[in-house]
Amino acid sequence: MSFSVKSEIKENVAIVTMAGDLDSSTAPQLHEEIKKVVQENPKELVLCVEELNFMASAGMRVIIFAKQKLGSAASLILVKPQEQVHETLRMTGLLHSITIVDKYPE
Amino acid sequence: MENDTESKKFKATLDSLSSIREYVTEQASKAGIDKNRIYKLCLAVDEIATNIINYGYLRSGIKNAHVQAIITKNAKHFSVVLEDTAPPFNPFERELPNDEELNKPLEERPIGGLGIMLAKDSVDEFRYEYKNSTNRNIFRINICNEDT
Repeated sequence: MSFSVKSEIKENVAIVTMAGDLDSSTAPQLHEEIKKVVQENPKELVLCVEELNFMASAGMRVIIFAKQKLGSAASLILVKPQEQVHETLRMTGLLHSITIVDKYPE
Repeated sequence: MENDTESKKFKATLDSLSSIREYVTEQASKAGIDKNRIYKLCLAVDEIATNIINYGYLRSGIKNAHVQAIITKNAKHFSVVLEDTAPPFNPFERELPNDEELNKPLEERPIGGLGIMLAKDSVDEFRYEYKNSTNRNIFRINICNEDT
């Protein structure tokens, strides 16, 4: 199984789309992409995760890192996480700081 | 109770994580365990395998090491045991985030400890033992039988 990630920034919104399995071997790829986009100080970070089949804590640490870099004024949006990924985010308390939507833009 | 056991050895590198998950998924599917519980079992195994590879072996400078995954099935339980020969590491001695920390805004949260917490919360039983110079992390799920 593999992982892929790409990003774009449009009008102050960073959109990061990922697919596959996000574990400790693939999280560094997401980390690099996030580092790149947070440098542009987006007001919104949108993570498109519909095709993400697995997320371990290594992936969550990257999301926490992203939010810490962005600061509380920027919003973090997750688009259509699969049920099990959603559940893991809930178990680790990440949902308090993330907005989940079915599609973006809504 | 009759036990059915098999095992597979994996190189202790992060690239093995997906193969370990595939192996657990394949065996658990054969045992008729539902997809949601397989996902959680894989998550638990993945988190601990990551710690073994990163902290047990890599940080100790141990090369060419392996992690053994042993699967045991019987009518009541499905278990995965991860065995490694890295220095003893008891995940239960690690401090985990408490509820207060988990409820903090992400900007103020400490970043560590989530993996072991997920491992514990994702299976019916998670145990650790150190025997014969081997770390053994034991994950067990109860097999639900609607007839009983």
